[in-house]
Amino acid sequence: MTVLSVRNLQVEFATERGRVRAVDNVSFDVSAGEILGLVGESGCGKTVTGLSILGLIPSPPGQITGGEILFGGRDLTKLSDKDYEQVRGSEISMIFQEPMTALNPVFTVGAQMTEILRLHRGLTRKQARAAAIELLSLTGIPAPEQRIDEYPHQMSGGMRQRVMIAMALSCDPKLLIADEPTTALDVTTQAQVLEQIVGLQQQFDMAVVLITHDLGVVAETCDRAIVMYCGEIVEAAPVEALFARPRHPYTAGLMRSLPRLRDEPVDRLPVIDGMVPDLLELPSGCRFAARCENAAEDCREKRPAIDGNGHAVRCFYPLSAGGAHD
Amino acid sequence: MSAVAADLTSALPPRQTLWSKAIYKFRRDRAGLIGLGIVLLYALAAAGVWLGFWATDWADVSGPKWAPASAEYWFGTNMIGQDIFSRSLYSTRTAFEVGLVVAVLSTLIGAVFGAISGFFSGSFIDELVVWLMGVLDSIPFYLLVAAIAFSLGDNPYAMHIAMISTFWIGTSRLVRGEVIKLKEFEFVEAARSIGVGQLTIIFRHILPNTLHILLVQSTITFVAAIKSEVILSFLGIGVQDGMSWGLMISESTLEVLAGFFNNFIAASVLMFGLVMAFNMFSDALQDALDPRSTVGGDS
Amino acid sequence: MTKPLLSVAGLKKYFPVRGGLFRTVQAEVKAVDDVSFELEAGQTLGLVGESGCGKSTLGRSLLRLQEPGGGRVLFKGQDVLAMDKQALLQQRRHMQMIFQDPFASLSPRRTVGQTLREPLEVHGIGTEQERDRKITDLLQTVGLRPAVLDRYPHEFSGGQRQRIGIARALALDPQLIVADEPVSALDVSVQSQVLNLIKDLQRERGIAFVFISHDLAVIQHVSDVVAVMYLGRIVEMASAKQLYGDPKHPYTQALLSAIPVPDPGNKSQRIVLPGEVPSPLNPPPGCPFHPRCSQATDACRTKAPELSNAGSAEAPHQVSCHLFPPPSS
Repeated sequence: MTVLSVRNLQVEFATERGRVRAVDNVSFDVSAGEILGLVGESGCGKTVTGLSILGLIPSPPGQITGGEILFGGRDLTKLSDKDYEQVRGSEISMIFQEPMTALNPVFTVGAQMTEILRLHRGLTRKQARAAAIELLSLTGIPAPEQRIDEYPHQMSGGMRQRVMIAMALSCDPKLLIADEPTTALDVTTQAQVLEQIVGLQQQFDMAVVLITHDLGVVAETCDRAIVMYCGEIVEAAPVEALFARPRHPYTAGLMRSLPRLRDEPVDRLPVIDGMVPDLLELPSGCRFAARCENAAEDCREKRPAIDGNGHAVRCFYPLSAGGAHD
Repeated sequence: MSAVAADLTSALPPRQTLWSKAIYKFRRDRAGLIGLGIVLLYALAAAGVWLGFWATDWADVSGPKWAPASAEYWFGTNMIGQDIFSRSLYSTRTAFEVGLVVAVLSTLIGAVFGAISGFFSGSFIDELVVWLMGVLDSIPFYLLVAAIAFSLGDNPYAMHIAMISTFWIGTSRLVRGEVIKLKEFEFVEAARSIGVGQLTIIFRHILPNTLHILLVQSTITFVAAIKSEVILSFLGIGVQDGMSWGLMISESTLEVLAGFFNNFIAASVLMFGLVMAFNMFSDALQDALDPRSTVGGDS
Repeated sequence: MTKPLLSVAGLKKYFPVRGGLFRTVQAEVKAVDDVSFELEAGQTLGLVGESGCGKSTLGRSLLRLQEPGGGRVLFKGQDVLAMDKQALLQQRRHMQMIFQDPFASLSPRRTVGQTLREPLEVHGIGTEQERDRKITDLLQTVGLRPAVLDRYPHEFSGGQRQRIGIARALALDPQLIVADEPVSALDVSVQSQVLNLIKDLQRERGIAFVFISHDLAVIQHVSDVVAVMYLGRIVEMASAKQLYGDPKHPYTQALLSAIPVPDPGNKSQRIVLPGEVPSPLNPPPGCPFHPRCSQATDACRTKAPELSNAGSAEAPHQVSCHLFPPPSS
């Protein structure tokens, strides 16, 4: 059952050098109970996509200029601010990368959690507090009855992230958007928090859109993944297929160039030459052509469309089953 | 040499000066542009006076007493027959002179003290500067000015000195806060790791990064100086020779009792105009220079 | 046996925590607690650990960007910690640093040219022309065109800025570079470029590196010797091959297994550590790792272990753990 359907989404920003299309014609679906990974490097548009779903694009410079976001039978792009407030936090929740700035430092954790519970679920103060304590323990926070009265700065990064997760889950949302939730955490804490997210997702039967740049995280937690480059989707597939047989040269290049634990260390890491192009000066053909080993003439002249169903790729010459890792 | 990745072949993006973002934002702020325009108009007037192009006759007793506004005397004449328009124009020069001198010097002094106390925050020097700021701040401004004016006697710059000695504090506090933040940045550590001396680090690396604060503060100080000058001149301890809006208003107290308002209105309106325009410009400048606000998307 | 380039003994850096009415010292954060190691010329030591383990403080203490509270840092036999201002300035030519944040490590209001020229100016190296030539060479080494000299840092991407930082570190021809998380803030596709650059520098210029990172995969790629830190102490140190092939300390094992592997077919046996890294203000008694260790014994709760060699004399493998007691003499 499809929970979220993004169709031909376009988001533009006004900058001093011109208009930038941060998200260009992006379409994907998320099913109930599925963890979808949105993966790419900085500037690829993954965070902007996540923010658009919740209508959180800062409005003077940014704007949704096209497409639809279908959720619960409505197109979210057409919602008024007031209606959107009903959706945010209760039907769709979001957790962010930097828990210190996402939590208000002058309110206790309990105050922030009960606010949401009373707002969206109409609980009394006592009920909200009890519910909050239960949510905190659900996310693995020890001694939640004490923690609930603490301030964010009294907690560690991992714990703050768990509080954010608890807050995001408090209204039983159908969809959770997690924007780089573990990037700022230590590796051992990251492992804990990811385990938590996957466990809670199953328990609450939520759909999750996990935005990250870390392919390892995608491999370990996601069911399906979408790779973005320069505002476009370049590849979309179930995770096993994506890693076993990446079809887009960018995906394959990214996987090869990752430093990873090996039995025999290599001398030089394979590299994707060049740099991500400036979004204001995009080439006329395929956006990856300048860095692609297999680029041909037509790659530089025409833009490929996304093609394929189970394993979609945007490339005139997608890689065949060659395998990604050494 | 080793074959390093192809940054050598990729083109660099077009030049982006340090100010391009700020200029872009400023140009879209209508109030700021209007403010700037008006300020420039005043500045032009002041420059003309200074260069001797006009208003040289501000002290001439040429006309009838209390003449109403006419073609010959645009704003009319005052109690002893001087052209109010000329006097108002001349006062523009005074305003700018006081404003510029006080703004520039107090910003410089504030920057230096702020940078040094911020960089050495927590140490004795910092405590000393902070103490000094506190002491000067707690003396009521007009008492301090009166004291300085009195002790300096006929020095034409007594008023300027008095203003500078208190206005530097605002800038200094802001710069100190910014420097405390900036000195933790890695580029400061990098400079130390190369062996750059501390004073060089403060003035070459850190202070230039407070430019946005200094620019905005100097405009605020400019306005404060003009306003203070008006009050001081009104009280008789401001401008001693020459003419200023404050002196005009002071003169006009008697005139107003007699029912003649031109003098008062001319000085007040002109002063209001400049202060208002400068404030609008200053606000727009602050928004434009704010390093935090981003104009553009990211991942 | 040749003398090592760098020999660190008993290095300590404690931060006092002041509080109360009279701001008395109430506690100490033992950021670096009695660290010793040696580094040969041209060798790379990988320093790995999570936040709060003290690796960054250790790196900065070596260069006296933080003043250590005790211990010795011998560079070619001379104690860097005992040097006076003049000698330290000279010493700076031999030891340089690459920083983590490409957006904060370059002064925003100085051009690339000014930034690169500064080390040469401070130390009075070369004439104007010689300096210009040197800077152009440096840029070429890191793969940037001379046209960048007039530009400001904000005009460049993170990867390019990091290269500028590396060029700056190379300007004085140092023999030792401390690299503090040099690729952690970079995009994945750029990380490999910069890592390759660092490896080339290791090989072609014979520069010794102290490479600090939290990423064990990156460390494996660049290091000869690896030291794992936890709460200010080294808990395991061995050649890269030995450490990755046969990790002995339970923390090292957990760290290695916690890394998400980009291979969905390989759902390894994850060791998920309970609890969090304790605050360095209040370290647990005995072995600092014992609250999270599945193999903790009573001895672990009371007595702190010392680093001892669990390997051989030719292939030393230092571990600080009661599971590997020092051979009783």
